[in-house]
Amino acid sequence: MLHRYRFILTRPLQFLPVILGVSIITFVLVRLIPGDPARVLLGTKVTPEAIANIRAQFGLDQPIWQQYFYFVKNLLQGEMGRSITFRIDVLQLISTRIEPTLALVFSSVLLSVLIAVPLAAVAARNEGHAVDHAVRIISTFGIGFPSFWLALMLILLFSVSIPLLPVSGYGNTLSEKLVHLVLPSLTIALSLSTVLMRSLRAAMIDWLTSDVATAARARGMPEGIVFWRHVVPNAVVPTINLLAVNIGWLIGGTVVVESVFALPGMGQLLVRAIFSRDYMVVQGVAMVFACATVFVNFLADIATVAADPRVKL
Amino acid sequence: MTTTLSPATPLLAVRDLSVAVDAPEGLRTLLDSVSIEIGRGEVLGLVGESGSGKSLLCRTLVGLMPSTAIRRTAGSILLGGQEIAGANETALQAIRGARIGMIFQNPTSHLDPVMRIGDQIVEGIRFHQGLSREAAKSLALDIMGQVGFTDPPRQFSSYAHEFSGGMRQRAMIAVALACNPEILIADEPTTALDVTIQAQILHLLLDLRTRRGLSLILVTHDLGVVAQTCDRIAVMRHGRIVETGAKRQILKDPQADYTRTLIASHPSMPAKLDAGLAVAHSGEARQGAGRPLIEIDDLAVRFPAGGGLFSKRRNFSAVEGVSLQIWPGETVGIVGESGSGKSTLARAMLGLTPASSGHVSFDGASLGLQRAEALRALRTQAAMVFQDPYNSLNPRMTIGETLAEVLSVQKKIPAAQIQERVGELLDLVELDRNFAYRKPRTMSGGQCQRAGIARALAIDPRVIVADECTAALDVTIQAQIVALFRKLVATMDLTLVFIAHDLPVIRSLCRRVIVMHHGRIVEEGLSEDVFAHPREAYTAGLIDAIPDIDPDRPLSGRSTP
Repeated sequence: MLHRYRFILTRPLQFLPVILGVSIITFVLVRLIPGDPARVLLGTKVTPEAIANIRAQFGLDQPIWQQYFYFVKNLLQGEMGRSITFRIDVLQLISTRIEPTLALVFSSVLLSVLIAVPLAAVAARNEGHAVDHAVRIISTFGIGFPSFWLALMLILLFSVSIPLLPVSGYGNTLSEKLVHLVLPSLTIALSLSTVLMRSLRAAMIDWLTSDVATAARARGMPEGIVFWRHVVPNAVVPTINLLAVNIGWLIGGTVVVESVFALPGMGQLLVRAIFSRDYMVVQGVAMVFACATVFVNFLADIATVAADPRVKL
Repeated sequence: MTTTLSPATPLLAVRDLSVAVDAPEGLRTLLDSVSIEIGRGEVLGLVGESGSGKSLLCRTLVGLMPSTAIRRTAGSILLGGQEIAGANETALQAIRGARIGMIFQNPTSHLDPVMRIGDQIVEGIRFHQGLSREAAKSLALDIMGQVGFTDPPRQFSSYAHEFSGGMRQRAMIAVALACNPEILIADEPTTALDVTIQAQILHLLLDLRTRRGLSLILVTHDLGVVAQTCDRIAVMRHGRIVETGAKRQILKDPQADYTRTLIASHPSMPAKLDAGLAVAHSGEARQGAGRPLIEIDDLAVRFPAGGGLFSKRRNFSAVEGVSLQIWPGETVGIVGESGSGKSTLARAMLGLTPASSGHVSFDGASLGLQRAEALRALRTQAAMVFQDPYNSLNPRMTIGETLAEVLSVQKKIPAAQIQERVGELLDLVELDRNFAYRKPRTMSGGQCQRAGIARALAIDPRVIVADECTAALDVTIQAQIVALFRKLVATMDLTLVFIAHDLPVIRSLCRRVIVMHHGRIVEEGLSEDVFAHPREAYTAGLIDAIPDIDPDRPLSGRSTP
């Protein structure tokens, strides 16, 4: 069976053109935004000489293709240039900001799965009954409410009315960090779990009425075994890719949630970098996001191959 | 047969069982006072066309209704003298599998695709017999050996998709046997299989009956299967048992009209043969001088198989060294087991699959040398009828739209006449003209296949290639479609290439027959000669494996794969 996993060795080669494409697009797009990093940095009352000085310092006075050439050259050497506003190495900057974002994505996905699987199971096994309708109505709310609003409501409820959890920030110790992650993760999980729940519920209902389930029942298997041993393993297969697509979206989507909860992560960094036209940081963060998305989809491919013996990649 | 209870105390006795569905207009009866009995070690054949209630009856026995709207309204089911109709779910779970097992027509969809075959067998053993994991595994390996797996320790870890159709059905039987049932209900277990594989599976079932004293309820629409295997027969129609009795008595002296029709429409009946030959001879008269319509010379079609980045690419030969000529007006049958290259040959004939080497010419134009010209001729003069009537019709288009589309693309008749022509085509395939406004999903399999034939006729073809177009149909519908083809060939100037794994159909329809095996032609000749005096052992084996309606002819074919 090991030959089915051979793509793990070859697939990363296909990532190179994707990453290259992303680098070109972010590089060009970020320079199409009106405004000049030097002018943003130095303010309005400034001599043209000072601006030219800063531009020369960061190589912004050179033709764009040459700038890109240096960008790629540096990238291959493991460098992303210097931030104009923070005045430190971009890679170093990102490394201090990556932990909250990773923690947020991981805890949101975990929470989403923990919410989605039991709800989908209850809804699917009681299809058409009151529980099913209730779950579906709640899930419609989850999809309907925008995350910034949901975040504010959660803060109002759990930090202001009932002061259980902190309003914002991150903290230093592990327990502090975990406490600070509860509301941001819940904000994301409330909408992500509904997407997963709907897909899982539909797949579970399909498999509950499938020939596989009928055959298991005809062998005298009780409904619980039919469900957890035959229905669930088959129903999760299509949800794996859905989850991967959503994690990709989520990595970019942390921007809003990190801003609302003042989490010092990559999303927040990206927002500040865009406002200050800090090209190097925007490029760097975009590259990290792109690589992360590609990597998550790669993991999803491995998971799909593991979950479904028929899949060949 | 190890033990036989006297008929007075049957193992399973169903009395006056009625089942109805809650429909908007009130209760509609699906099973009407059905009574059957089966003794220990007995084989009961339950025969009838699809929709007659055979499968519903089987599912009612174990309380597995296909829908909550369907329920038992009357009658009793006695298993070993104990009433099980109306038993609660827990009691039924102890009966399902452990006392009454079931295997189904389509093992592919009934086996869990993401669970190893061995684990599916172990599941039943552990649940019903409460064995430890190790003991269950060794018993599972033993059962796999019993049902004809060649290498159980290795195949234990395989998944359903890695097996052939026949092996999947064996796996399904192993999964059922794991629960150690007294009665095994086999619902159309061989319908999806080739004749030779069918014979093997039937052998296996009979063998298990003898070794384990298993009672079998064999549900089938094929009287030939019943004649070869069963002790008693129950004929069902419209939810009723129209006739029941010992096999010989029913086959030799059927009382009900429906049973007589069923026996008469069995393809092995000789009456059809004469009619078929009459057509063939008229075809022969038309075939005279001139050139062959389709000429195939040393054709090979190979597909890349396996291989990848780290291993050498290998080729799989679907068709190898085939030479063949088809003359205008001929009816040619191509037979062989699945995987023998029949369909590939047909597709290559129509230019749908490129030839790896060799030549295919249509009406003198070579598909290799004058590709554009030959394809143009093919697309306007040749048509194909497909195996799956549902999936080969566009579900979003009405039959009328489907036919009109072909007519307007072909531009053989002016646009104004298209609607009239659609009606004529429906007449030709004996469908009511109202079908022009219906979509495939509202139609039966037989009606869909007629529509598929109408679509083929819409291009006004010189040749029709029909690929297993009766394989998915009931025997009575199958007979109707064959009769339709016979009529079309006799009345229109049509060349027919008919591909089937079902030999009796070929024998009754085609003048010439070509037998394929592993991508090569092993035998060809006039149908009457080939079927009467096959020269090749392979052909003889195929003919031998046909379940004959004569109960005295023993079921042939090997028991091991």
